[in-house]
Amino acid sequence: MSDECPACSVPSAGEPSATRSAAPMWIIVVTLVLLFLGGIYFDRHSGWFDAKVYAPYNSTENLGAYQPQSGAAAELARGKKTYEAVCGICHGPDGLGKPGQAPPLAGSEWVVAKGVNRLAHIPLAGLAGPIQVAGKEWSLNMAAMGAALPDDSLAAVLTYIRSSWGNLAPPVTGDDIKKIRAAVGAGGQPATSEVLLKLPE
Amino acid sequence: MNPTENKTSCDRELNDSLRVPLLALFGGAAVWLVVGLVLGLIAGIKFHAPEFLGGCPLMTYGRVAPAANDAILYGFCIPAALGVMLWILARLSRQPLALPLVPVVAANLWHLGVFIGTAGILLGASTGHTWLEYPRAASVILFAAFLLIAVSAAATFGWRSEKSLYPSHWFLFAALLWFPWIYSTANLLLNSNQVPRGVVQPIIGWWFANNLVFVWLALVGVGIAFYFLPKIAGRPLASSGYALFGFLTLTFFGTWCGIPQGAPVPAWLPTLSSVAAALTLVPLLAILIVTAKTVCGARVSCMGGSFCYIKFGMMSFIVSGILYVSAACPQYSRILDYTWFGAAQTQLQLLGFAAMILFGAIYELLPSVMGKPLPLPKFAKAHFFLTMIGVLLFVVPLVIAGVVQGEKLADPSIAFADANSAALKFLRVSTTGQLLVLLGAILFAANIFIMTIQWKLGIAKTVIAYLKSPLETLEVKP
Amino acid sequence: MKTGVSVFIAAFVALGASWCGFVLAPVLQLGGAKQTVVLQSTDNWPLQRIGEATLGLQVYRAYGCAACHSEQVRQTGAAFEVTLTSLGVQKPSDFVDFTKSLFVLPELADYTNAIATSLNGWKGGLPKTLLTCTDKDIATEMADRLKAVGVKSETGIIATGADIARGWGSRLSVAADYLYDQPVQLGSLRAGPDLANIGVRAPDANWQLQHLYAPKSVTPTSTMPSFKFLFEVRKIGATPSPDALNLPKEFAAADGYEIVPKPEAKQLAAYLLSLKANVPLYEAPFTPAAK
Repeated sequence: MSDECPACSVPSAGEPSATRSAAPMWIIVVTLVLLFLGGIYFDRHSGWFDAKVYAPYNSTENLGAYQPQSGAAAELARGKKTYEAVCGICHGPDGLGKPGQAPPLAGSEWVVAKGVNRLAHIPLAGLAGPIQVAGKEWSLNMAAMGAALPDDSLAAVLTYIRSSWGNLAPPVTGDDIKKIRAAVGAGGQPATSEVLLKLPE
Repeated sequence: MNPTENKTSCDRELNDSLRVPLLALFGGAAVWLVVGLVLGLIAGIKFHAPEFLGGCPLMTYGRVAPAANDAILYGFCIPAALGVMLWILARLSRQPLALPLVPVVAANLWHLGVFIGTAGILLGASTGHTWLEYPRAASVILFAAFLLIAVSAAATFGWRSEKSLYPSHWFLFAALLWFPWIYSTANLLLNSNQVPRGVVQPIIGWWFANNLVFVWLALVGVGIAFYFLPKIAGRPLASSGYALFGFLTLTFFGTWCGIPQGAPVPAWLPTLSSVAAALTLVPLLAILIVTAKTVCGARVSCMGGSFCYIKFGMMSFIVSGILYVSAACPQYSRILDYTWFGAAQTQLQLLGFAAMILFGAIYELLPSVMGKPLPLPKFAKAHFFLTMIGVLLFVVPLVIAGVVQGEKLADPSIAFADANSAALKFLRVSTTGQLLVLLGAILFAANIFIMTIQWKLGIAKTVIAYLKSPLETLEVKP
Repeated sequence: MKTGVSVFIAAFVALGASWCGFVLAPVLQLGGAKQTVVLQSTDNWPLQRIGEATLGLQVYRAYGCAACHSEQVRQTGAAFEVTLTSLGVQKPSDFVDFTKSLFVLPELADYTNAIATSLNGWKGGLPKTLLTCTDKDIATEMADRLKAVGVKSETGIIATGADIARGWGSRLSVAADYLYDQPVQLGSLRAGPDLANIGVRAPDANWQLQHLYAPKSVTPTSTMPSFKFLFEVRKIGATPSPDALNLPKEFAAADGYEIVPKPEAKQLAAYLLSLKANVPLYEAPFTPAAK
């Protein structure tokens, strides 16, 4: 039909054309850099598609830290944290100790004794000289690592070691520590095995 | 003369096929533009005089404001864009519009749908979802009408005689797929009998709003601008490489924006939107480079002509895009969310970008389609200056109001009323801007109507002349 | 792109990806959500709205209240707060000296200024917030040290943010809060205050109705238009109606007339009263104030 159009008006002004050129490299690089930065941002803020993580919380761990915890779980969590910061360096994160460094706490009769008096003396007063632990003799020196900790904190640590790695002994309260700390006094000599054995349990 | 000229369609057939569909689309669009801007002006006045039209439940702010926005978007932007798209596809195909009756039916259906929708909102039947307020009946009609136009557009494209693709093809073709998909998904999920529970509704709503107001309008607007800017300037489009990159990154990254930062949804959703918003800077940059290279150095003195409209539209697009992206930054969104800033960005996108580009395109193409010049060319020039100043007066104070309001709201020691009143000072200027834009739109509608009436009168004259002419007699020779 | 098909495929993949991410995935992850449990309690959350409140949501939608009001509280952070509840045998001045002694601890180095400022001029009023920090260990240690000197303290979680500080809520809004809303009216502009907890802030139905009839009668600086068409002005019958509004003189009806809310107004007020989101959840923990 277009052939039979002799009375056509002047043909249309040309349709626009585009200069052919390839996509420039620099803008692709910019895009890739933005993608990379975006990936980092996503990793930090998205909670990785978890349905429970809402901004401002960044991750499930972050959200978990703000959950109120029931008493026992909170105690153990706190005790574990303090243990790893203060005691675990020598006694090991698994409570197994190290020859020449510290005796084990796992399976130690001093730790799982029913009464906590003798056990608490050790971090509060320090320990010097030989001591029998789980059938082996250990002759090292320990500073009063727990003297600087508040009562509740030390109680949480002792509760933690008394219920971890196979140990099963009753928990320790802050009040217990308060009394024992008063008995130990301040700035005294480190305890020894004989002194401890003379104490009531 | 190009010898292949014989093989391609000539102008007259092309224009004949486009005349009725375009008049149907543009005529209704002009009406809805004026209606939408009037409703918007009423909404704006209500902030200075809350009891303005206070006794009429139809005119309560919560109904007038969404009705205004929807009328401008669905009533003007979409049908006008479809009309320009049909024209561009026909011209790039060097073929007349395929199935020319289909867009005429579709245009009338579309305007009926917008009418039902607007009436529905004002009478209280709004669905409650932003940008999807039209009741179900209106949505179904709009969807059907769009599909009809898409069929005609696709057919025009498929039967093209010029086989190679021009960058505008990518943008416009993608837009033809984009709208039916997002519109049907959003309506099927939000406007049906089995609506997903809870916060999934606003998530889908935000996905839809972003893909319609940001991505779809960008696709159409940029596609149209990339056609007209080189054509008017008489030079080729600056770079197909940048244009392609802009197209791909706009569709792949732009579609993921939209979820506000403080939304009550799991953190991964707004985080993805944030990352996508940062990446959306890339298509903005690419499109800016193409536009700048095509426009700068072009010897076109426009003085209120189509070139001015489209240049202003593209600049508004870049600014609107930057505003959109900055509102997605977590530090800024803390201040800017829930303030006038978002409304300002939307209005800049609708009126500053989409509407301006459509005005420029329509003023450029309508004279050639109708075969006669614009009846009131001075109106067209005045329209440009009125709209440009109007948009600036509307949007800039609104942006500042949003920032001021946001900063005051972020300070808990400042009373809410003080934050509000600090913003209201700027709204007075904005309302004046709205008035100017409305005046410009009336000038636009005047041109369209006079052209339509002239055309109808022309047809009437032809018909009457035909009826009056003596019958041809055949001489029978013995 | 050389062919129409390739353009179509590119657009299809692009939109399909975001459809999967922002339509399909949320529907799968959150679409089947059920009631959740309040933190440290057996109560369910949220509770279904009953009766007029359900109809009120439709009134809220029909009048487009979401055009000016948001229904969403934002939170910018969370913190642990150590609050002093009992001084035991200590005097306030002794206690202040004690806290100063804690300032040598390295963990508290960042907080010494805040603690000193908050105790400046403190005369012993309880409860007193001592420490607000984002590190749980520091808060716990502070609590331990306080316990060691015989004072009682409580460690709680608070939400921080401008919305929270304004009293618009005690925690951020989460998906569970909107489980039974149809449609969810989050809003996008705060031309008016946030309404997520309006049922907690203004639990009086009469206040809500009065505010709807004449916002300036309860908030003189309000820019909210009045919704008088939700009310009826009618002649007082044999006895005044129990629903009649009690308005100040400038807003009240003429003599012999009373202002009675139409059913729509009552439904809307019931809906507004049902807007509460002040229970702690796993995804939005906070320590509720003791009753």
